[in-house]
Amino acid sequence: MRVRTDDEVYRVDAVWLGPPKATFPWRARYVAWGVGIVVFLVVLTIERQMGVGFGFFSTAWALVATIILTRFITQRISHERPLTAVMSMWVRELTAPRERTASTGGAASAARIRVNPQRPRPKLSKKQRARQQAQPRRTSASRKKEVRGVRTPARP
Amino acid sequence: MFGRRRDRDRRSAQHIAQHAAADPRERAQVYSKRGRRLPGEQAVPSYTPSIAARSIDGHLLRTGQEVYAWYRLAPQRWSFRSDSQRQDLIAAIAGQYAELQGRWMHLRVTTRPYPIRMWAEAHVHNAVKRLPDTPGTLSFDDYMVGEQQQLMGRSMAEKEVYLGVQVQTRNMMDRAVERAAPVLRRVFPDAVDAELVALDSEVEHLDQVIGSAGLEGRPATAEEMSWLMHRSCSLGLPAPRNLPAVPGAAWEPEDLASFTDAADFHQEPYSPTVVVRGRTGSNAGIKRHVCVLTVGLMHGLQIPEVDDPWVQRSDRLPASVEWSARIYVRKPEEVSGELSRQMSKVRSQVRHYTDEHELDPPQSLARQAGRVLEIDDEMTSGFTALGTRVRSWWRLAVSGPTEREALRLAQSLLELYKPKIAIEHPEAQYAIAREFIPGEPLSNGAYLRRGSVLWAASAVPTATAEVGDRRGILLGETVTATRRPVAWDPWMAQELRDASGLTAMVAGLGAGKSFLGGGMVYKTLRSGAHWTLLDPSGPLSALCDLPELRPYARPINLLNAQPGILNPYRVVAEPMIEHFLDEEDPERAWRREKALAAATRRRLVLDVLTGLLPFEVARLPQTRIVLLRAVRTVGGRFDAHPGLVFEALRRDASEHHEHAVVVADFLDEMRERMSLLIPEQDADPYNEQRDDRLTVLTMAGLNLPKDGVGREHWTDAEALGVEMLNLAAWLTQRSIYDRPKDLRKGVWIDEAFFLSEVPTGRVLMNRFARDSRKWNVRVLLSSQIPADFLKIQGFVALLDSVFVGRLDDDQAQADALRLLKVPVGAGYEQVIASLGRRPGGERTATERDRAPRQFIFGDGAGGVERIRIDFSGPHLEHLRNALDTTPDAKRDNGSGELVKTGDDHAAPQPPAYVPDEIDDELAADMELGLTEDEAHLVGHGDGTNRHRDGAA
Repeated sequence: MRVRTDDEVYRVDAVWLGPPKATFPWRARYVAWGVGIVVFLVVLTIERQMGVGFGFFSTAWALVATIILTRFITQRISHERPLTAVMSMWVRELTAPRERTASTGGAASAARIRVNPQRPRPKLSKKQRARQQAQPRRTSASRKKEVRGVRTPARP
Repeated sequence: MFGRRRDRDRRSAQHIAQHAAADPRERAQVYSKRGRRLPGEQAVPSYTPSIAARSIDGHLLRTGQEVYAWYRLAPQRWSFRSDSQRQDLIAAIAGQYAELQGRWMHLRVTTRPYPIRMWAEAHVHNAVKRLPDTPGTLSFDDYMVGEQQQLMGRSMAEKEVYLGVQVQTRNMMDRAVERAAPVLRRVFPDAVDAELVALDSEVEHLDQVIGSAGLEGRPATAEEMSWLMHRSCSLGLPAPRNLPAVPGAAWEPEDLASFTDAADFHQEPYSPTVVVRGRTGSNAGIKRHVCVLTVGLMHGLQIPEVDDPWVQRSDRLPASVEWSARIYVRKPEEVSGELSRQMSKVRSQVRHYTDEHELDPPQSLARQAGRVLEIDDEMTSGFTALGTRVRSWWRLAVSGPTEREALRLAQSLLELYKPKIAIEHPEAQYAIAREFIPGEPLSNGAYLRRGSVLWAASAVPTATAEVGDRRGILLGETVTATRRPVAWDPWMAQELRDASGLTAMVAGLGAGKSFLGGGMVYKTLRSGAHWTLLDPSGPLSALCDLPELRPYARPINLLNAQPGILNPYRVVAEPMIEHFLDEEDPERAWRREKALAAATRRRLVLDVLTGLLPFEVARLPQTRIVLLRAVRTVGGRFDAHPGLVFEALRRDASEHHEHAVVVADFLDEMRERMSLLIPEQDADPYNEQRDDRLTVLTMAGLNLPKDGVGREHWTDAEALGVEMLNLAAWLTQRSIYDRPKDLRKGVWIDEAFFLSEVPTGRVLMNRFARDSRKWNVRVLLSSQIPADFLKIQGFVALLDSVFVGRLDDDQAQADALRLLKVPVGAGYEQVIASLGRRPGGERTATERDRAPRQFIFGDGAGGVERIRIDFSGPHLEHLRNALDTTPDAKRDNGSGELVKTGDDHAAPQPPAYVPDEIDDELAADMELGLTEDEAHLVGHGDGTNRHRDGAA
């Protein structure tokens, strides 16, 4: 059994050859005319924005630019890839997530945490300080022995 | 995954403090105190999945806008079916699509990998009581390594096809209810489930439509949904080694993170591939470049006659290809409006050319107008909805570790589909890759394919080329649509499928029968099976000389064996009561079996002796009468022998006494040559018992009749040869009863054509069929002519699996297809003729053709495929050398003279003898058709017995 798609039906090349009895030397699809008009308007707008005055040459150059741009655009569209689809693909190319080279996260680092060996203590009065200084001096000798009740071995 | 968590900072009241809500009651409490958080408790940012899916309930997947029901479609056999069967399948699928008018469908084809490593694991696990390694030879581990190396990198990946069908679109109310579910569940629990409850009948309808013949889809299970989501969200990455546990309840939006977090996608603008990077689990840190392609313009295809179904075609690629198709089944009124618009467009163009510019319109316009009319006609004619139209977008994805690799695969896909189907490589790879995820919207409308449902159905993504199983021995690989390794466990049918263990192997001379069978025997021996081979011509005894098998193998040349080894009374095993302990009434079953054994012996003796008599004598009715009477007198004890029958014949006191004496004389004359059938005094060859794993019985030098020579033209030697072969087959069969019931045993009878020549052949077949399952036996019967098997009544019904090799004769080819249960006359005869056909240029080559032979393998579980036998690994070198003999060279060189020597090779010991039980005798006689003969003699009896042909 022969199976085939209906795509052929939808591939009608709707061209506008020009006004009746005045055939243009080129054949352009309706969509190309549409794109051309929009591009022409855009080009003219840009020219105005750039400060180029309205005149014969500026318009002629705008026409040339339009033809080039329109050909560029219409070469990229076809029945398979209508203008809207190409536009949406273009937008999606731009909005697709990129590879993130800048590291977010990664290994946890404590580098930026200030670390102090000691916690701040309340300041002592002079009397307490004096007592504290005295005390270790007194205990230091007796504390040398680690275990009570065991003789310290004689030093060589 | 895809970067954005949209409302990370939106701290709506509903999403606060969910982490504290381990207990639903507690959660309810928290919600009731909205705004009054517990001290120290922070607001948890709400989570919105980065994919469109929001929840999964059973097989229903809900996105913000739609509800989809997902189905797993059943695989469909494609090869070796007739074209009409294939057309029916396509039409059935098209009919199912047509019923889904106005709905979107999402077809996903993915694979579940089964790497060779997993096969090895399953195979080793399955190799119970395997052969102990002999020092200095190929050990089991080395053998397994070799097997895996031979198929390095190959995969037995299984294709899985899922179909999502849009159930309905969701309205604002549904979404609001879902959002408010946590609160609403407390206030008004019914409201929460109301959406899905309302869909119930709709879903049931869909279940029914998709479940009927054609697609044969069943609702996807939670595990399958999880798999599909994983494969889609980590598109192109290797399959996760361990999936997270499937929850018992529905997947909430937060749970979907387990799918989306597993990988992330990124791409550079206009890059040809999208990069998928694994983040969790076994895929963490693994990167794959995925190239997404789409189906472009398509020529007309001749499916099924010439072309493969076009989605299945991608199976030919050595890598797995993921498919995602969006199909919208259009309503007819919509299409007809569009068609008339197209028609007017064409007309106005034609006018524009001809009237306004006086130019000739392009030919294409006329063609297009014609096609519009055709489509309109298709849609309006007939009662079937096969003219229904669809709009569809078909995407394919291939992946590789590098961009280059992915593009190379993409290129080979393009080549594969050339020239009839154009495969395009679109931009916006990331956006199109996302389409593969269930629930995601179509990314853009480019590469729209329009067609009828018939066209969409002819893609047949479910068509597979699977055969065999995934734990058995490796036989080779398929050579049709796909190249996948074929493994087959000969005991799976009996152990798991409750099927018989009968396998027929049919192939012409030199088509590789012995090679295939020998390889099978070798490999299964290694994994723990016990085999008894009957190989009349003898080359298979070379297997016994393989160093690793030698200690466990024993070749026996039956023609040199001890007298009495083929005693027809002994080749039928005596049943033992231990084997009937699992029956309802062991005693009764055992007695019944004993009576059956006795009757079988009598039947066998009768057949053998009749077969030995000259054809003219055997044909006489009185011969049969006197023989039957004598055999009856001797009885069916296992310690009897044919010599007793001769004596009984001489003692015959009936009116046929004279004839009985004549018959006895005839037989006595042959007594010398029948020495194998009659034991000498006080010498029982069945005394010795040995536990060999491989016993090869050969009868080298036996004189067998040529193919196609009628019984009446056989010489005495040939008749004796056939009868001896028959007895040897019984002896082979007997060996299965000497081993434990559950042990995996195999029996291979080569040159099994005689089964159709002797009346007891069918009795043997029935025994095989009955006991192969109970006793876990694989019975391999090989012959050169398939008609030999077809002649045995009911044989095809008993068959489990079939191997068919090259056959040249037209009739033989048709018969082989009948064995395979494949349509005859559909063009498959040529396939059989071309199996392993040698290239013509090598005709004059003096070296033997050692190219792998091809077979058509019907695995008994529905799969029929063309396979290439592949024992080419370097570890099997010695096996190949051992089997590399021309098995048929010696067949007709035998002298026909039986050499009697005192060689004391013998079969294992029989059970102790217990006298026959008379009660069950009649029943047993009836089962074997003995009564019929007697009834004929004595003039009464019932006609309900199975018909037997008495032309011996």
